[in-house]
Amino acid sequence: MNKDPIPDLLRALAEADATEEAPPEIELRLRREFRSRKRRRMWTRLAWGASAAAAVLLVVVATWHYRQTAPALPQAEAVHEVVTDFYPLVNPAPPFERGRLLRVELPASAMRMVGLPVHAEHLSDPVQADVLVGEEGLPRAIRFVKFEAK
Amino acid sequence: MSDSDEKLLAQMLKGDEDAFATLYRRRQGSVYRFALHMTRSFAVAEDVTQEVFLMLLESGRRFDSSRGTLLSFLYGIARNHVLRRIEKDSREQPAHPSEIEDCIASEDFADPIDDLTRREAIETVRRAIVSLPPIYREVVVLCDLEDASYEDAAAALDCPMGTVRSRLSRARAMLAARLVKKTVGIAYE
Repeated sequence: MNKDPIPDLLRALAEADATEEAPPEIELRLRREFRSRKRRRMWTRLAWGASAAAAVLLVVVATWHYRQTAPALPQAEAVHEVVTDFYPLVNPAPPFERGRLLRVELPASAMRMVGLPVHAEHLSDPVQADVLVGEEGLPRAIRFVKFEAK
Repeated sequence: MSDSDEKLLAQMLKGDEDAFATLYRRRQGSVYRFALHMTRSFAVAEDVTQEVFLMLLESGRRFDSSRGTLLSFLYGIARNHVLRRIEKDSREQPAHPSEIEDCIASEDFADPIDDLTRREAIETVRRAIVSLPPIYREVVVLCDLEDASYEDAAAALDCPMGTVRSRLSRARAMLAARLVKKTVGIAYE
């Protein structure tokens, strides 16, 4: 009985081509690309970091300023919070794994930035907001808080 | 002991160029040969190898070790590029499967298994493999030429292991039939 020759022929082909490899210039091109992407990533991170620092500074200043002028909030036990959906602050958003929620106070005009309606006469009224900050310090999203009597 | 592919990938994603180079040197041969056996074109194999590793730089974070090994992930990317290339080439130059069969038939041999020299036999099988439809070609290339496990092949081809087994069996039968058919055809001329 004849042995099936196909496996032997396939093995012979595999052995004959076992040393076939991509030419070295491909590795050089890829390594150049690797370094170039690494540099671009570093500059992007620096830019993001600077933007994040500016955004956080803005929030801190706004909070400080409006705490000076804001009326006292109703007693915590007498009210409950109603929150809006989160609105993204970064588009497109980089991958998000972990972060913190910061409660800040902003002028109501900030609500217009995300498309929420605010009457013109209330634009400078203080509103509470939760800012979702990624672990790299970048503000990712914001939601607004309303207090309602229980 | 050398680092695993997964560890090298993690280091690469953190910006370690040496880890990328080690990973590339370890796996480029398999990717290159896969593309070469699928297309019989050195130029395409080079392009595909480069594209696969560029894609790894771009989307390496998408690799999920629970779905297969890094090598099967690379084969999967290579396969997508190769199939796109085959499809593009077949649109630009309509396929002439008979050309390959004619090549096989024109070989001056009476029995491709016993009488051909080893080199001629290998060339004949190489042509026969490229003449297979891509879904059969890829399982032969992965399992028989690159010695990938059924599990790795299934992960790379995104299909169940049973499908890999059945396609492989059918592919080997097609290969045998093509070689024997040509031999018989010549014998009766």
